[in-house]
Order: sequence, then C-alpha cells, then structure tokens
Amino acid sequence: MEDIKAYIESGILELYVLGDISPEEKLQVETMAAKHPAIKAELDEIERSMELYAEHNAVEPAENLRSRVLNSILTNFGDDRNFDTKTEPVKNNIIALPAPKTSSFYKYAFAACLALLIASGIALMNLYSKLQESNTQLAALQIDKQHFANRVNFVEGELGILRDTSFKFLKLNGTPHAPAGAAVTIAWSKDKHKVMVDMASVKMPVNDKAHQYQLWAIVAGKPVDLGVFDANPDSTDMREMKTIAALKTDAFAVTLEPRGGSINPTMDQMMVLGKF
Amino acid sequence: MSKKRKISLSEEELVLALRNREKIAIEALYDMYSSSLYGVISRIIIDTATAEDVLQETFVKIWHSFSSYSTEKGRLFTWMVNIARNLAIDKIRSKDFKNQNKNQELENNVTFIDEQKNTVYKPELLGIKELVATLKPEQKSILDLVYFKGYTHVEAADELGVPLGTIKTRLRMAIQQLRKHFN
Repeated sequence: MEDIKAYIESGILELYVLGDISPEEKLQVETMAAKHPAIKAELDEIERSMELYAEHNAVEPAENLRSRVLNSILTNFGDDRNFDTKTEPVKNNIIALPAPKTSSFYKYAFAACLALLIASGIALMNLYSKLQESNTQLAALQIDKQHFANRVNFVEGELGILRDTSFKFLKLNGTPHAPAGAAVTIAWSKDKHKVMVDMASVKMPVNDKAHQYQLWAIVAGKPVDLGVFDANPDSTDMREMKTIAALKTDAFAVTLEPRGGSINPTMDQMMVLGKF
Repeated sequence: MSKKRKISLSEEELVLALRNREKIAIEALYDMYSSSLYGVISRIIIDTATAEDVLQETFVKIWHSFSSYSTEKGRLFTWMVNIARNLAIDKIRSKDFKNQNKNQELENNVTFIDEQKNTVYKPELLGIKELVATLKPEQKSILDLVYFKGYTHVEAADELGVPLGTIKTRLRMAIQQLRKHFN
C-alpha cells in the first residue's frame, strides 16, 4: 500500500493526465491503473478535475463552426486522406501518354498496307494483260501449228499418191469446144478405186458461179459421175473425187455442167478427154 | 442562447454511439466538448481562423481514429484534449505558421504579446475568477503552461526557473486544489 501511495504522490499520474509523459511511462501508468483500483480511482479523480478545469476555461467557438465541422466529418470533405486516395488514379491517367504513339503506328501500318495493295493491284493488272497477250499469241501459234500439221499431213498424202505405184497419171487434152491448151491431169488407182484431180495442172477457163466442171469416167460406153470441181488457179492440191468401182475404163472426160453437176453429161460441153 | 438545443449524452452512451459511427454521436461530441477543446486550442493559437481550423481538424481526427480509444485507458475528454493540444502545438511549430507569423504587422504583434501574457481578460473566461482564489499564482501559471500551452514540465522548469522536482510538486498541489474546489 505504501508503494501505491508513493506512486500516487510521485506526481506521475498528473503528468499522465496532462499528456506530458513518455510512451514507456504512459504504458507503465496504464498497467498500474489496471492492477490497482486505488491508482485507477486517483487517476479518474485527476482526469475529472482537469476536465472541469477545462470546462471553466472553455471558450465558445463561433456558431457557424459547428455546421462546418460536422459537415466536414459527415461528408468527409475535411478528410485529407480521402483526397489522397482520389488523386492516385488521376496521376495514372496523366502518365498514359504512349497511347497516341501506338495509334500513329497503326495509321502508318494501314497506309503502308494500302500502298502495297495498290502497287500489287497495278502489278497484277500488268501481269494479266501480258498473260492475255501471251495467250493470244499462243492461240495464234497453235492455229499456225495446226495449219502446218494439216498441211504436212496433206502434202504427205499427196506425196503418198506420187509414191504409190498403183496410181496412174493421165493427161486429159482439150476438145474442139475448149480453148487452146486446155488440159487436166488425173491420177487413178484401180486397186484403191480412187480418182484424183491434180488441181495444179488444171488449165481450164475459170467457171462462173452457176457452173462447175464435172469429171466422168466412160465405162463400157456409159458415163459414170465422178464428182464436180471448180477451176481455181490458186488451188494446187490433189482433189479426191468419187470412188470408182470399175477396173477398166474407156476414157475420162470433163464437161461443164450447171453447179452441183448433172446425172448425164452434156456432151457438147465436153472440155477435155483422155484415154489410157 | 442555444444551450437547450444542444445534445448531451452520458459518456458511456457517447462512446458507444461513436463506435457505431452514428451521426448523432459526432453532434453530441461537438456540443458537449467543443468549447472546452476550443478553450485549450485558442490559448495555444491566438489567430482565430487558425484556431478554428485546428478545432475542425481535432474533431475530424477524433472521428477517424476513434477505434484507438479505449475506456480502460481513461476518460474520453483526456484522450480528446491530448489530440487537440498536440494538433495545436504541431500547427504553431509548422513552417507555414512560423512564416505567416513573421509577416505579421508590428501593431498586431503588440496585441499578440499582450494576449500571450494574459494581460487581457476575455469575457468568456470570467468563470476562472473564482478559481484564482483557489489556486496560488505559481500553481496556476505552471498548470496553465503545461495544460494550456503544451509545455513539458521540463520546459516549464526552464521557463519559470524552478527545479524539476518543484514543478512536479506544484503541479500536483494545483490539481489537488482543483479537486477540493470542484468537490
């Protein structure tokens, strides 16, 4: 008890209430007060006295201060900590500068893509027109090639006739009806029943549109139709005529007939005649 | 005046309401303690606008740090008056406040010094008169230095040119006198 009384009388409790005390001493006083009701009671007495003393020294603040203080607490506007937390995101927003850079990058990239697209479009058009040209040339060449192939086949065919020993050539000479020097050369193969007219050797007046020359074979005194042809100075081929079944003929003759030919030859229009 | 409209609660009710963050608690707290706290603040800070700012800061701090108060540590007012006194002392020791004071006109300073030396009686402090008889001048001056001016007892000993032990004794005697007076 003596200790407690000495503790009370040391004046530390008064300093505690006056806030004039180190944190360690403060903790010590609180521990002592919790342990000893007498100290707690003494402390309480001191606190009450000081509270009353403060009340006696009270100064009424201005009346408008009440609403100002209460508002600042209730709306939290007076609390600086609230402003601190709110300024953070604003700072972050201001730092966010690199955004325009990326957008300009995309702009340039887009422009580059567009330029590339246009350039490749033009190149494609050029290439396409060249391809068209090449295709046309290729088609022309193929037609030429076909033409030459046909020609070669044809010439080979003609050459075949010349080589073929079964063909016999016969020159039909002009009759009194024909102009002087009229002649037609034919080739006949008995074995193959073929008759050809050598167009290069046809020396006949050019027939008009209404008429054509008709080749006849005289077999056993009767004329056999072997087909019609035109006297064209440009043609040089060997024209194959109708097949002939007979193995023996008296003669071959050409008459001028209405276009398409006649069933029976018009004898007074016989132009050339030849016999084997 | 408006005394009747002021809200008053018992300390237990008030502490409970403050814990529950009730609006009425802060209103009651202001009505019950603003003048006592302002009495302390306005003795440390003479400038009315600054003193009012500090009173506001005090209530804001009480409201936000109320969880750190416990009834076992002592009375609510003791805790609050320490907050008010510390905020007020921090304010007058802050750079801003010192710079502001350097710019004060000379005439104003005369009044300041007069007020600081307590040569001017404020009408609202008339209640102290009866206490003057109770407290001896040396007791009152040391009590006021520590309680109202935020001096430590060491600083008070320096200021008054009195040994540290004497300061402690005088403080205790002063408070004993007050206890007698109020009882």
